[in-house]
Amino acid sequence: MLTATIRRTPILGKMFDVDESTGLSDINTWPAMMIMTSFVWLIVAILLGALMPVIQMAELDANLFYSAITLHGAALAFPFLFQFMMGISLHRSGGCMGKSASGKLTTLIYLCMNGGAVLLTLAVLGGLKITYTVMYPLPLVGAQMGAWSMNMVVLGFTGIALVLTSIIFLYPLQIIRMSFFGKQREELLLSARTLKDPGMLGMVMSVMILLVTGTPLMIVAGALLLALYGIVPLEAIAWASEPVVFQYVFYIFAHNLMEAMAIMVISAVYATLPLYLADGTRKLYSDKLANLALWILLVTSVTSFFHHFYTTNPGLPSALAYHGNFMSWATGVGAALSTFTILATIWKHGIKPEPGLMAILAGFVVYILDGVNAMVAGNIAVSYQVHGTLWVGGHAMSVLIAMCLMWMGVLYHHYPVITGKKLDKKLGSRFVTLYFIGAVGLLYSFAAGGAMGMPRRFADWDAGPDGWMMVGIAILIFGLFLIAGFVTYMQNFMRSRSIS
Amino acid sequence: MLDFLYQTGWGAFTLMLLFQIPFLLVFPYIVYRKCFVNPKPGNTNPRKMTRLETVWIVSAIALFVIVNLYSISYMPMSRTAATEKTAAVIQDVDVTARSWSYEISNRQFEVGKPVRFSVKSVDTMHGFTVYHPNGKILFNMMLIPGLEKPSSLVYTFTEPGKYKVRCLEYCGIAHHGMQDELTVVKSDG
Ligand code: HEM
Ligand SMILES: [Cu+2]
Repeated sequence: MLTATIRRTPILGKMFDVDESTGLSDINTWPAMMIMTSFVWLIVAILLGALMPVIQMAELDANLFYSAITLHGAALAFPFLFQFMMGISLHRSGGCMGKSASGKLTTLIYLCMNGGAVLLTLAVLGGLKITYTVMYPLPLVGAQMGAWSMNMVVLGFTGIALVLTSIIFLYPLQIIRMSFFGKQREELLLSARTLKDPGMLGMVMSVMILLVTGTPLMIVAGALLLALYGIVPLEAIAWASEPVVFQYVFYIFAHNLMEAMAIMVISAVYATLPLYLADGTRKLYSDKLANLALWILLVTSVTSFFHHFYTTNPGLPSALAYHGNFMSWATGVGAALSTFTILATIWKHGIKPEPGLMAILAGFVVYILDGVNAMVAGNIAVSYQVHGTLWVGGHAMSVLIAMCLMWMGVLYHHYPVITGKKLDKKLGSRFVTLYFIGAVGLLYSFAAGGAMGMPRRFADWDAGPDGWMMVGIAILIFGLFLIAGFVTYMQNFMRSRSIS
Repeated sequence: MLDFLYQTGWGAFTLMLLFQIPFLLVFPYIVYRKCFVNPKPGNTNPRKMTRLETVWIVSAIALFVIVNLYSISYMPMSRTAATEKTAAVIQDVDVTARSWSYEISNRQFEVGKPVRFSVKSVDTMHGFTVYHPNGKILFNMMLIPGLEKPSSLVYTFTEPGKYKVRCLEYCGIAHHGMQDELTVVKSDG
């Protein structure tokens, strides 16, 4: 039935028509459905991204800008990228563990993610403009000031809670279930992996991070939601409605969400790179070093979130600020190790110039460039210069764009197994080139804006020196490159031909 | 030089390039070599590789440590502490932020006289960012409502002029209009 739904979907259905002849439906159909749905969000949200600079140049309404940024950020981070990642990694887990990736839990993951995102979208269209970081207590203050209605706050929070349930509880539970429980089904096992394998270790690590760092946020958000519904009085949850409490549990989660997604994709890179080695050895330079890099990323990421609060000093005690500074840079040691492992692997075995692998490596380059951008901002002295500017907005966006490119490369690799169709090399290379130019251009444009003191989430680029609008123009141009990259990627799926 | 690196946005940009450029030289080069020029297995004498690995990691760590150690004296908390120790008087300024304006106890300052800004928000998250007349950010504060201690630091203006204040934490539909101005005059003493 699901396969039929996919097939009937206009345009996108053709790209993700699952090959049922292989008997792999249990690890293919739901992932295909998720990936396809994530593309719907992508198409809408990326156009909103291009709309933002246009709004500024044409001096359109500020309200439109704030609605666009809220939807653009929220849709691209969650129902697009996170869902895209879930689709691919459920397929990967299924194929590596020989377990079904379907079932009630997967259905629920899908419904919560997309249902929640739809509710949030409706709330934004209804006036709620809170950006994807919520900026609590802004939703309540804005309602008091009459900027939007309390109903929209309730609707939006319900949506966010559903999305978070999907990310923090349901998806991790599914991955844990597949990794540790249930019987292996031989026929689903495509390439067996154990948890010692860096390609699998990262997956399990990252869902643990989501579960552990997300639960406090779920508790606070859940309490707020109960109060919003009128089930408990607001006074009864005063401990949760405190802005400081919300901000801390929020960033403990939000920062680690990004790290978890990064660990997950780096581990997917570790799994995919060996498949493209020129000498066919299918081995990383060193599994141990790869695993060590993942462990360092895991340990250092957890408490580096303090960097979000440097500029509240002395609200954030200096000691914790120093700690955050140290941990933020220590993540860089993990990245340096990953870089070494990848380069040594390539050096030792050589690689084949396949578009999928090129996408992964180009994505890794953007990821490292962005990591440096983030580390620099993670220095306390620098943070007092760039916090709240486009620099950090650009970092948030670039890390997502980088991970997206790596996942697109990984999907490129899995696509023939899922659909039974093969992709065109030329289109593949064109996609990588366009996307890479767009991604790197956006990264430096945003950083330059930050260097000029251009605020993020700021609907008046005209208010500053001329340089601000020039940055806006650069964002539009490189954004169009990125969009052209996505279009080429999809075009390749549209034109893919049956392998047989 | 260090002033530039740690106290300006373009300095941050330069720091970023400092780390990115070596990476950009090494990574694409090796990929290009082993992908298009000669994909034959490279020489990986285990001894040599271990040495290379050590050099790579140690130099990364050393650079990380140096960049951060040098930054310590530029961190506003250490600057504030240093000024508090040496300055005879520090002028206190209280700022209250609310959507979408600031209440500032004093908007005029003298060159060379340290000022302690203590900034609070009374409704939602706001920012308090002071811009030099030339457009560069001098410092940045984030204000979480309900925090017992106001965000605070000591700053000494060095040039007369009109200094723009902007809110850099998104605070709703008129966020971009949330601004103010400080005036710095030549000291008369
Ligand atoms: C995979 C693609 C993309 C992802 C994942 C992504 C993600 C994001 C995120 C998370 C934000 C932060 C939103 C916020 O601060 O509330 C953002 C902001 C923004 N994005 Fe994108 N984005 C993508 C593509 C694009 C493209 C193609 C453009 C332009 C043509 C664009 C333009 C912008 C602009 C102008 C901002 C607002 C900056 C600001 O004022 O803070 N984005 N993006
Ligand atoms: Cu404000």
